[in-house]
Amino acid sequence: MLIELSHIQRLYCSDEVETTALHDIDLQIEASEFVAIMGPSGCGKSTLLNILGTIDRPTAGSYRFGEHELTALNEAALAKFRRENLGYVFQSFNLIDELTIEENIDLALVYRNMPKGERRTRVAHAMDRVGIAHRARHYPSQLSGGQQQRAAIARAIVGEPRLILADEPTGNLDTENGAQVMDILQRLNDEGATIIMVTHSPSHADLARRRIDMLDGQVVISVRNAI
Amino acid sequence: MLMTTLRSVIRQTQRHPLYVGLNVFGLALGIGLFLALTLLVRFEYSYNSGFRDVDRLFRLDTIASNPGTETREYAGTTFYALPFLKEDFPNIENSVRIQEQSLQVRLNGTLASFRGGFVDPSILEVFGLRLLHGLPDALSRPDGLVLSENAARRIFGTSDVMGRTVTVNNDGQMSRHIVTAVTNGGIGPNFLSDFEMMIPIPIEREKSNNCYSRWSSDCGNIYLKLKQAQDQASIQSHLRDFVMRRASGPDDSDIGLGLHPEKMYALTLAPLRNGRFYDAHVVASDDGVERNVIDGIGLVGLLALVLACANSINLATARSVLRAREVAIRKTLGATRKALLVQFIGEALVLTLVAGLLGIALCELLVPGIASLTGENITISYIFVLAVLPVVILGCGLASGFYPALVLSGYHPARVLAAARMPSGGRMVGRLRDGLVIGQFVIAITIVIGMLVIHQQTEFLKRADQGFVRSGLLIGSAIPSEDIATQQRLHDRLASVPGVSAVTYGMLAPSPEDKNQMTFTYDSPAGPIRVNLLQDRCDENYLDVYHPRILAGRWFDASRGQDTHPDYRKTPNAMSNVILNETGAQRLGFTKPTDAIGKVIKSGSHVSTIIGVMADMRFESPRQSIYPGLMTFNPHFSTVFQQPIPAVRFSGVPVLEMERRLGLAWSSVLPDVEGHFQTADARLEKFYRGDEQRGRIFTLGALAAVMIAALGLYGLSAFAAARRVHEMGIRKTLGATSLQVIMLLLRGFLRPVIIASLIACPIGWAITRNWLSEFDERILLGPMPFIIAVGGALAIAGLTVIGQTIRLARAEPARALRSE
Ligand SMILES: Nc1ncnc2c1ncn2[C@@H]1O[C@H](COP(=O)(O)OP(=O)(O)OP(=O)(O)O)[C@@H](O)[C@H]1O
Ligand SMILES: [Mg+2]
Repeated sequence: MLIELSHIQRLYCSDEVETTALHDIDLQIEASEFVAIMGPSGCGKSTLLNILGTIDRPTAGSYRFGEHELTALNEAALAKFRRENLGYVFQSFNLIDELTIEENIDLALVYRNMPKGERRTRVAHAMDRVGIAHRARHYPSQLSGGQQQRAAIARAIVGEPRLILADEPTGNLDTENGAQVMDILQRLNDEGATIIMVTHSPSHADLARRRIDMLDGQVVISVRNAI
Repeated sequence: MLMTTLRSVIRQTQRHPLYVGLNVFGLALGIGLFLALTLLVRFEYSYNSGFRDVDRLFRLDTIASNPGTETREYAGTTFYALPFLKEDFPNIENSVRIQEQSLQVRLNGTLASFRGGFVDPSILEVFGLRLLHGLPDALSRPDGLVLSENAARRIFGTSDVMGRTVTVNNDGQMSRHIVTAVTNGGIGPNFLSDFEMMIPIPIEREKSNNCYSRWSSDCGNIYLKLKQAQDQASIQSHLRDFVMRRASGPDDSDIGLGLHPEKMYALTLAPLRNGRFYDAHVVASDDGVERNVIDGIGLVGLLALVLACANSINLATARSVLRAREVAIRKTLGATRKALLVQFIGEALVLTLVAGLLGIALCELLVPGIASLTGENITISYIFVLAVLPVVILGCGLASGFYPALVLSGYHPARVLAAARMPSGGRMVGRLRDGLVIGQFVIAITIVIGMLVIHQQTEFLKRADQGFVRSGLLIGSAIPSEDIATQQRLHDRLASVPGVSAVTYGMLAPSPEDKNQMTFTYDSPAGPIRVNLLQDRCDENYLDVYHPRILAGRWFDASRGQDTHPDYRKTPNAMSNVILNETGAQRLGFTKPTDAIGKVIKSGSHVSTIIGVMADMRFESPRQSIYPGLMTFNPHFSTVFQQPIPAVRFSGVPVLEMERRLGLAWSSVLPDVEGHFQTADARLEKFYRGDEQRGRIFTLGALAAVMIAALGLYGLSAFAAARRVHEMGIRKTLGATSLQVIMLLLRGFLRPVIIASLIACPIGWAITRNWLSEFDERILLGPMPFIIAVGGALAIAGLTVIGQTIRLARAEPARALRSE
């Protein structure tokens, strides 16, 4: 078992209202799984993904990742965990405007203290895989949405993480680009990466091996797709 | 239009109170300091300019270039020259002689001192002094007296004192005078503004005093009013001929200056306009101010304004970026570029106006402070402020409004609206911002370096070795009596004061224009060397009181007959022993003090043997080089001292108490003479005061500069932080730790400060080195001021941004990513 969530709860407390984004989530994910999360807007998908990515902390519950109990780790340890194990693809790309595509991708390796030469070959390789090598020296604002999303994926995979989290990676893309992105994710999964993807597209969800449906902060169905 | 602008300003203030607040506050600080310092500079530049026809007024100065000494200019001139001048130069319209003197009046039993002196009656007319009561001919009667309004109030409690009598005490000589006029001085700051009492020069004085009848002595200043300002050049060019013609005489005459007076003596006209700047290099005038220092202060004021403007531009561009979306939407709705330009510049002007008003308020607060810091009587002139302020506001407003307006109005709406997040304003704007911050810190750091060096130098001068032991030493006023019995009595009285261990009389570096200056010749192996030496005389206790350092040879010994200075009138061919100061020994060509011992120097028929060399003793301004000097010995009142200066060494009694006791002892012997004892530091204080006061102004400027720069950095870091929240979220998601993020941000924020340090240090070095070169004794320009200034700037910048940085670094990445 790679991931084990038990009784995960996430409350948002603003001045007056208290929103429960996640109720008591229990979830297990095996290594090398490809999981699609679906559900209506506001049901807590992004929140769940953030907690899985340790960039948000649950209000209650436990999160085991392999041999680590992540809720017990301090901030520095979490940062180390993230850079060694995770790749993140956001719906809104989240590339840094001031850096070129190449530098944006490199950023995922910089914090690992990897030698420069190795970083360069890895970055080049990752860009090749998603097909944006010819845009290496461009700035994000000079790229189309689909190209930016592929750059974001390159950044997520460049460190060869054990877990890739993708929040609506095709949400901003047309059918053609969407299909390309799904193709890349599938290939990564075939190579052994664990992928958890949030999507609104049933056809994309069908490409995953397992599908989780959420409603009002809870997991309602979890089914395995026949492949 | 105005209403829209106002409404927009108010809305901006509500939305971004931090930026608007920093902007206005920084500008107000800059404008306030600028106005205050400009008032100070204006004050200095207007010195003496309130005199009637100031451009036709000159002081006659003496330039002495004696053998073995540096050329020096003195403000005093012999009064003997005046009748000849008037005769030879018909373009002299009028003249005034002023023999400055502290005059005393007995008020309620105690002697009160007034600054004033003996003057020619023409003084009122020549300087155009304003008369509260009386007529311009007030001093034409010999018992006339002109009082300043203040003095009249001090003596009588009212200014309406015409015809009342005052008994004036001049070092024990009494004279009765009738108040014939009350003046409130010249207009604006001038050298007569603290003159309180004027008495016509008595006829007896003219007859008895050497300085009225000899070329070689002086007792005051001659002021000339020329028919036309241009006459200065023609008179100046003939003064050398004048000296050759009028001052020459046989070498042994008391009246003339020898066969070739022009070789060592010259006269020159010193203009009264900006007289204080001129006086900075005139000997014995403690009133001089260096023009470049005043200009430096003006520059600090101007730089404070520039800093504040840079701040304003920076914050405005930063703020404008936050409004990019607003602008884009306005544009899609049809606003023209021009309309937007007008709107933004209008807003900037309104903010600058508010800052300007706050600046005036600040100036009101600062000016009294500056007045007391500098001891100058500076007041706010609203005519001046109102003339300058609109220019400043318009300039700053346009500067801070124009660039952001240009950038903003130039945005392409599509690009702004399409961008996922707010734009940074582009590379150009970013570079401008960095450049401005660097510029600000260059200015701030340079000013701080200047301030630190001034401070170090001033402290150094105060502590510098003056050749004698200052603690436990009190020095008195010159004793006017030339009667041995009185001198002896005062000596004994002072010696009997409890706590006093030794009393001595000396001459304490009298003005080098006195007769106590003689040119000596040393027949060195390489040929004769002539040096003009300043002569001092001391009694047998001098060594115990001053503790001068003996560098070679020995001190005087009363039991050795030849040590005692002979009375040459009785024994013209007597030999005598003398002690040189270090400078004197050097000028006579002795490389080591020991080389001088036993050598013989001659002045005319007087032959003296050097028995010792002592360290230079400094009783003059630290800017002045030490005059070569010679000490002679006069133990046990062998001959009478001329106006000796008493000094005592004491212990076990607090200084103030000792001063009081010595004052009482003095007045028990000389009841009609005002006399007091001071520490050596207090005597020298007037020479350091100016530097110290200007040092304080620099401190003020430095503080303000650093504060404005820090304000700007704070605003910018807040802006950058807000803009980089998202980026930091991404970095943390990718595995950066908080510490890494903090370091990254700090490096970014501090980079401009580091670059600024690299630029500021050489500039500061060049400026301070130049300033230090004016001093005869000065500190070595070490790394400390630079380290402190740079370290301080970095620390302040670090403190300024650390709060933002930590807040930014600690934000939960998920939350950071949501913020747009
Ligand atoms: N920072 C926050 N403060 C308060 N409430 C929040 C915050 N973030 C999320 N929520 C609330 O939590 C709930 C879940 O939000 P989440 O972003 O996970 O939804 P989602 O399923 O990803 O929706 P979508 O498909 O629209 O992206 C929502 O009701 C949302 O309003
Ligand atoms: Mg979502």
